Amino acid sequence: MRRRYALWMVLFLLTVCWMMPTGIVNADGDKQLIFDDANLLSSEERNELNAMANKYGAERETDFMILTVDRVENVSVKQWTEDFYDEYAPGYDKPHGNTAILTIVMDSNDVHLEGYYKAEKYLDPGRLDKIRSKITPALSRGDYKQAFEKYIKTAHRYMGFEPDRNPDNILFNIWFQLGTAAAIGAVAIGIMAYRSGGRVTVNSRTYADDSTSGILDQQDRYIRTTVTKRKIERNTGSGSGGGSGGGVTRGGHSHSSSSGKF
Amino acid sequence: MPVIEYKCPNCGSSMVFDGDTGKLTCPSCGRTDNIEEIPDPLKQQVFIEDEVKEYHCTSCGAVLVTEPETSATTCSFCGSAVVLSDRLSGELAPAMVIPFSITKEEAIQAFKKWCRNGLLTPSDFMTADRIKGITGMYVPFWLYDLHNRVEVHGHGTKVSTYTRGDYEYTETQHFDIYRKIRLNYVKVPIDASEKMNDEVMDKLEPFPYQQLKDFKTPYLAGYIAEKYSYNDEQLYPRAKDKIQSFIDSYISSAVSGYTTVNFTHKQIDTTLKQADYVLLPVWMVHYDYNKMEHTFAMNGQTGKVVGKPPISKAKVAAWFAGISGVSLLSLKLISWTMGGGFL
Repeated sequence: MRRRYALWMVLFLLTVCWMMPTGIVNADGDKQLIFDDANLLSSEERNELNAMANKYGAERETDFMILTVDRVENVSVKQWTEDFYDEYAPGYDKPHGNTAILTIVMDSNDVHLEGYYKAEKYLDPGRLDKIRSKITPALSRGDYKQAFEKYIKTAHRYMGFEPDRNPDNILFNIWFQLGTAAAIGAVAIGIMAYRSGGRVTVNSRTYADDSTSGILDQQDRYIRTTVTKRKIERNTGSGSGGGSGGGVTRGGHSHSSSSGKF
Repeated sequence: MPVIEYKCPNCGSSMVFDGDTGKLTCPSCGRTDNIEEIPDPLKQQVFIEDEVKEYHCTSCGAVLVTEPETSATTCSFCGSAVVLSDRLSGELAPAMVIPFSITKEEAIQAFKKWCRNGLLTPSDFMTADRIKGITGMYVPFWLYDLHNRVEVHGHGTKVSTYTRGDYEYTETQHFDIYRKIRLNYVKVPIDASEKMNDEVMDKLEPFPYQQLKDFKTPYLAGYIAEKYSYNDEQLYPRAKDKIQSFIDSYISSAVSGYTTVNFTHKQIDTTLKQADYVLLPVWMVHYDYNKMEHTFAMNGQTGKVVGKPPISKAKVAAWFAGISGVSLLSLKLISWTMGGGFL
């Protein structure tokens, strides 16, 4: 009886292992991408975010994952996240594939981001820093759902730009483009309408008698010099402290990362 | 009778001034007379100072229907060109005149060409086939010679920034500035006719002053002329106002090399050296469009046209869509070449 039980156990584990590559599939056919061990979200919020992560991730061929835990024992949040990647083997395209991970540790107020494969290339440390600084204020407020939504949307948007570009360049903003185009049109029409009635073509020199005009006397007397100084802000990211860069997991997977506090 | 008419010595027709040749011309037999050589009847006549209430055409004897400002016109019955000489003598005698160099036909052609260039003008307006009337008019102007003494005191700064270590330093040098400037303006024109829109007249400038001639009445033959409604003293404030911006721009050009300049004291003493009463040539074009009469003015020497043409909403929309569309496309292309994706 006991042997039989063990066999079932092995079969179950095999099934779980076999299912791993596609991840755990829920009722909607979505992968589970939100692991809310710290219970920051209600179940509706979790489902909603999970659906959103699946939808946005599909467009970028990347799994946008969110991990929340109360504490991590004996390891850094970075090590913990790397170990999770090695063990759980997430990925949109394959196990250990394209993945972006957001890890929140409640005890130590850690916010940590990592990007693997396609996400490593498109979400380099600089972009991860930007995402982190965008979501940190909401996290500090305790508005976790909003922070997570922003993380998914921003990561999705940033991955639409080639690496080594500034994704927040205002030139890439559609509203800026539309606004500028409309402004150019309006100004051009304004000038055309204004000039349609003829314009003044005399200037300050038209009636000036240059032979008798001129500067008779001038003085430029130096009085004093004042100096003000300002400390140059070094960019330290938001939150308290923080660091970014990359690394390789113990399983040999290279990634980009960014961490800080909220 | 203070009405002057130039009768052709050959055929007796009424002679008019021709802008093309610059001579007094008889439209019937083609005789031309050089205006410089004709003795001006204005200088020979002596008038009684009484205000004349009625003028009679010397050709047909009809009463000349004129407005109080009119000094030259044509008889509405027989078409003879007449000059009302008492409105051009004494205090009302112009010192100089710029005669027309653009004839009526040339003016119509120039106006049609101008209409075609209007980017927002409705297309049925552009054909310019509804010109209701075109009138050559000598508009009274005062030409002011204004001498200015300018003294300004101010405070200027030169700002430079540099970095040392973790600090950015902003160094500001302060200066006391003083300038004494003599600025003379000659022949600043101000229109003295009550009827004419000041803004429109300002836009007609510049008039070519090398064409200024000593005033002689034959230049007015065949055209409308008006006497001034305001004298030089009344318009002096407008003249000062007009050169104010010229003076300001000269002052700022005289103070260069500073990051910021604040004038603490600015004194401008303007003295009026001379004000000449002159008549300048303007074609007035009256145009009917959509039951509205539009009036345009054209410089009778340079052909420059001033006036508000109607604006076609369809053309505005088309231009706006076109320009905005092209701008949007270029912005998209720029963002695409910078790696930002096309959509």
